[in-house]
Amino acid sequence: MIFNWKESRAARKFFRSRLSVAALIVISCYLAVAAVILVPEWYYKLRQKLDDKYQPPKNYGLVSLEASKGRVGTKNMPGLFLQPEPEQRLQRCERLLEIVDRALKKSNPQEALADIDFGTLKVAERPLPELRQLVDEGWQIFDSLAVVANLNEAPELQPKLKELEQVVNELYPPPTGRDAFWRNVEMLLGTDRQGRSIMLRAVYSIKVAVQIGVVTALVAVLFGALLGTAAGFFGGWVDHAVIWLYTTFSSIPNLVLLVLLAYMFTGTIWDGTLIPVYVAFSLTFWIGPCRVLRGETLKIKELEYVQAATAMGCGRFYIILRHILPNAAYLLLINFSLLFIGAIKSEVILSFLGLGVKDGPSWGIMISQSGSEVINGFFWQIGAATLFMFGLVLAFNIVSDALQDAFDPRHL
Amino acid sequence: MWSYIIRRLIYYVPVYLAVLLLVMAVLRVQDPVTMHLGKNATEERMADVRKEFGLDQPFLLQYAVFLKSTLTLDFSENSWDFPGVTVGSMIRRAIVPSLSITVPALILTTILSICVGMVSAYYRGRSIDKSLVFLAVLGMCVSLLAYIILGQYVGAYLIARDTGHQIFAIQGYEPGLKYWAHYCLLPVLISVIVAMGYDTRFYRAVMVEETGKDYIKTALAKGISKQRVMFVHMLKNAMIPIVTRVMITLPFLITGGIVMEMYFGIPGMGRALIVAVNSKDFPVIQAFTAVFAALFIITIILTDVLYALVDPRVRLS
Repeated sequence: MIFNWKESRAARKFFRSRLSVAALIVISCYLAVAAVILVPEWYYKLRQKLDDKYQPPKNYGLVSLEASKGRVGTKNMPGLFLQPEPEQRLQRCERLLEIVDRALKKSNPQEALADIDFGTLKVAERPLPELRQLVDEGWQIFDSLAVVANLNEAPELQPKLKELEQVVNELYPPPTGRDAFWRNVEMLLGTDRQGRSIMLRAVYSIKVAVQIGVVTALVAVLFGALLGTAAGFFGGWVDHAVIWLYTTFSSIPNLVLLVLLAYMFTGTIWDGTLIPVYVAFSLTFWIGPCRVLRGETLKIKELEYVQAATAMGCGRFYIILRHILPNAAYLLLINFSLLFIGAIKSEVILSFLGLGVKDGPSWGIMISQSGSEVINGFFWQIGAATLFMFGLVLAFNIVSDALQDAFDPRHL
Repeated sequence: MWSYIIRRLIYYVPVYLAVLLLVMAVLRVQDPVTMHLGKNATEERMADVRKEFGLDQPFLLQYAVFLKSTLTLDFSENSWDFPGVTVGSMIRRAIVPSLSITVPALILTTILSICVGMVSAYYRGRSIDKSLVFLAVLGMCVSLLAYIILGQYVGAYLIARDTGHQIFAIQGYEPGLKYWAHYCLLPVLISVIVAMGYDTRFYRAVMVEETGKDYIKTALAKGISKQRVMFVHMLKNAMIPIVTRVMITLPFLITGGIVMEMYFGIPGMGRALIVAVNSKDFPVIQAFTAVFAALFIITIILTDVLYALVDPRVRLS
């Protein structure tokens, strides 16, 4: 159909702009990350489906769902390896000591110790008495530090705090080699309220966003284009029916319709998967492309080459496929990128309302969870989620603007 | 003019009928009674509830009953979640708080973004214009929810901490014009900031398109000052796309309104709807969506009429 699209005027105009090429590269980076996460996930899901007894490994690929759910440290640690305030450092040490202490008091300390999971951070493999001695030593220093109400205002106690941190470091030796690198990645953007790595969650959310964006934009654009082209081309009762249908759907405010459609799925077997989100978004977003395609088809239908094709006796479906759709294809492209943005942004709102993504992280869940952290002055989670989202949405905005400019410069 | 208005009204009659049908069908995909009472409820209890709310009747009859109660605005059914409270009283209570956010937000957004768009078009190609467009694009890329969270932090928390005056409430609502600024101004401002990113760019494009027209040249040649041309001649002619744009902005504002209500604890329509959805309160969801759609259609018809007032050509088509 369009074999030499690279030489077309619009494509040359699009690729001449450096900004839009950069945006395309950014989008492909996001897509690549999503693919790297998605492919192993699909592989293990398939194997699990084929063989009920098969247990997938806990950590696989770049980031697995399990890895994004597990804690990697104590709560609300700042990112970029910044030192938190002394008071928070003390709390961190207390928490880490407490966990080992509790494990040591269990009937089977060995097993309890092995169960302690902070991502790559593990309890030192030492004999039990030695560990117990370290914990006691730690508690002693801790007690001497606990005499002041607020450690932030007691600079003379700082060396003691350092000592305590050394003890904790001996209990949890910092990983080495490849693990050390991975540890840095985990802690790069800090941890959330439950001690989960913000970096891993934000990266895993790329996959969720790309999945939602691609599926809903594709379905909505194809569905809308199908109805819109049919309405514009055939006219008559088809046209009336399609107009009636989309006016009906657009007469319910966007979010109310989304909420209604998401509600339809609560309690079914699909609850917790992304399918309710896909259905809700696709059924809400098809109106835009449908309207645009209908208008464009009405315009193209009257052009000479379509009349010529009709005079030559070409079939109606042939004309739609060969003449109308290729000439309206740019609208599909523009609408796809616009809907992609719409889907990602609506996901945030739907997740905030408790009807969107339910299993695992997404940018929406991260932003809505960070509400309580912001009041305490912790901005890492909202910042990370917003920044990751910002990059993708900005790239798509630039691409859709450039497409608009390249294909239809007169359009408002 | 009147024939146009009546034609628009008649056009939306089948649409609203279909909206009601859609809402009712979607809500009945799963049995609402089982959803609300849970799977462990006894058969008799379920049958009782079904009978009380007429859910055991054929669908068409239920449709007729609901249509009647919507048209007569008589929602006398009780809410499932709050026994003894009728849906109608919930709607009456919720409608004012909702409108006190959406309407000021719509007016402020339109006025402000037209102004910014005009400034941008006036200085077209210069650094002011470029930075305004750049800011608008950046502003579009941040999620609404992030704006709300940060807006609440800055507006309600930081200002109160640093100045000692609680100008904006962190959450809550009280009726009365006196309290409006305290509770509703911050949400309104946040909605305005969010919507301005989209609108400014559009209005700028409209204004830039208009500046190339011949009547502007004529006016300037007559010796009218540039400001007068901008604000009198151009604004009048740009009214047509502006009215269209207001219609496009509206659903976004309603979305924003619902999220604002949830976040700032304002007991409006959106909040009531979301609470009802979370507690599977079937009569409330059904009535609220119907009212939402009705309000929305009324606004669409109003903008249509406005459109016809601004551009007389529309009336004939």
